[in-house]
Amino acid sequence: MSTMTSNPWGLTPEQLVANWESFIRKAWSLPKVAEVAQRVQVGCTPAQIVSRDDNIRLLRYETADEKRYATPLLFVFALVNRPYILDLRPEKSVVGHFLRRGFDTYNIDWGVPADGDRYLGLKDYVLRYLDHAVDHIRERTGQERVNLLGYCMGGTMTAMYTALRPEKVRNLILLTAPVDWSVKDNLLSLWADERYFNVDRMIEVYGNAPAQWLQASFLMLKPVQNMLEKYVTFYENMDNEKWLEDFFAMETWLNDNIPVAGEVFREFVKYMFQKNQLIRGELEVAGERVDLAKIACPVLNLIAQNDHLVPPNQSLTFNDVVSSADRRLITFPAGHIGMAVGGKAHRDLWPTVCDWLAERSQETKAAN
Amino acid sequence: MSHSGIPGIDPFMKFWTEAVKAMASAGMTPPQPPPDLLTQLRRVYFDTLAEQADQFMRSETFLGAMKQGMEASLAWQQGVNQMMQRGLAAAQAPSRADSEHVVLLLRGMEERILERIEDLSARLGKAEGAGAAARGAAGREERKE
Repeated sequence: MSTMTSNPWGLTPEQLVANWESFIRKAWSLPKVAEVAQRVQVGCTPAQIVSRDDNIRLLRYETADEKRYATPLLFVFALVNRPYILDLRPEKSVVGHFLRRGFDTYNIDWGVPADGDRYLGLKDYVLRYLDHAVDHIRERTGQERVNLLGYCMGGTMTAMYTALRPEKVRNLILLTAPVDWSVKDNLLSLWADERYFNVDRMIEVYGNAPAQWLQASFLMLKPVQNMLEKYVTFYENMDNEKWLEDFFAMETWLNDNIPVAGEVFREFVKYMFQKNQLIRGELEVAGERVDLAKIACPVLNLIAQNDHLVPPNQSLTFNDVVSSADRRLITFPAGHIGMAVGGKAHRDLWPTVCDWLAERSQETKAAN
Repeated sequence: MSHSGIPGIDPFMKFWTEAVKAMASAGMTPPQPPPDLLTQLRRVYFDTLAEQADQFMRSETFLGAMKQGMEASLAWQQGVNQMMQRGLAAAQAPSRADSEHVVLLLRGMEERILERIEDLSARLGKAEGAGAAARGAAGREERKE
């Protein structure tokens, strides 16, 4: 009797052969992997730049689909990373959903802050750049109010903007947007605690928040997944071209890091993470108090159930503090990025969001 | 076995497959383990590792080390900045501090100009309102006469 009969972990000769074959197949597909990595494209929908404000570009997505709604939609992404995550691949494009439904869709590209942009703060991003973009769209479309969809930190800024300029917003959609930092149970909140992190000193020394430092912090939130498991999964799927295309598109976005302007980073860490001023109604932007209760337009708050960056408890309270009579909360079983690129979200979530917005947007005369 | 789509792989695969088959059949006759046992094991391993890492990164030990590491890194970076600034000043070249000073001056200037424009705009609005009121009153007077 062989000693292997008592070893439950042993592989049969067939399994060994299968593993070996699989390994050879993967090794053989290396040139294909390199080819996919080089040819993969991100940001799939063509867009034209309709206005520029310093380094900031306002993009309007082009489409052959019929425009059905007169109320335009503006996406507002975070200042960390690039906004094309909302339009990563043709079959994984949040933008695409709204275009196909007939929305006139815009996106703000915040650009890459230079060293000289270190003094740009919330007042610049919210009351200058975002306000200018909204005004430009209103002027261009002849509409009094616009629909806003803010993602992550962009959602927080969008909420601030809606509270400060409610007359310009028709509907507000927040996508995994943090507004309440009272519970510090996630790693990011813990690391940003003033006992461990002196943001003033960091900005004084570095100017802007360095891209590499931000990237390292995000990677460290899930070190096993991001630095180990991901590559094991990659190895397993090396001979799957479709999977590789999605993988490299995602990697392109994940590694396309940009610094965050020093002052806005400082304000965000200090007044949100450390002092939780927004939900308490204590935050001031350019001398104006941000009172979330002034938000009275219809609100849709989208929360990712498995979000490790913005846990649900940072977004849930938003619906309790606004004065909108029409407010809805959707908690979806996905992660922070999965909300934008996950297959399940594209199948189940975004059509629902489009329906919600369509019911509350003004139709074009032709559609009527 | 055919591996369509990967040209030239078949002879290579055949050679190695035969070799591994020979090696495997030489001394191993184990029972059939569950087909996904290794995958399950790996899942458990990764989950445990992730849980341990998360716990560690929440610990005072890690947070304290993170704070100290950051302070040391900032002190070093500040030293480099100061050295560069002195070097550039000696070479009569502008440093980052100089460009930041110019940016601050420009921002201050922009704010003052904007405030002035808003002030003028408000005054102009008031004057236009007063002018329109005066013209309206004069028109009524004329109609009375």
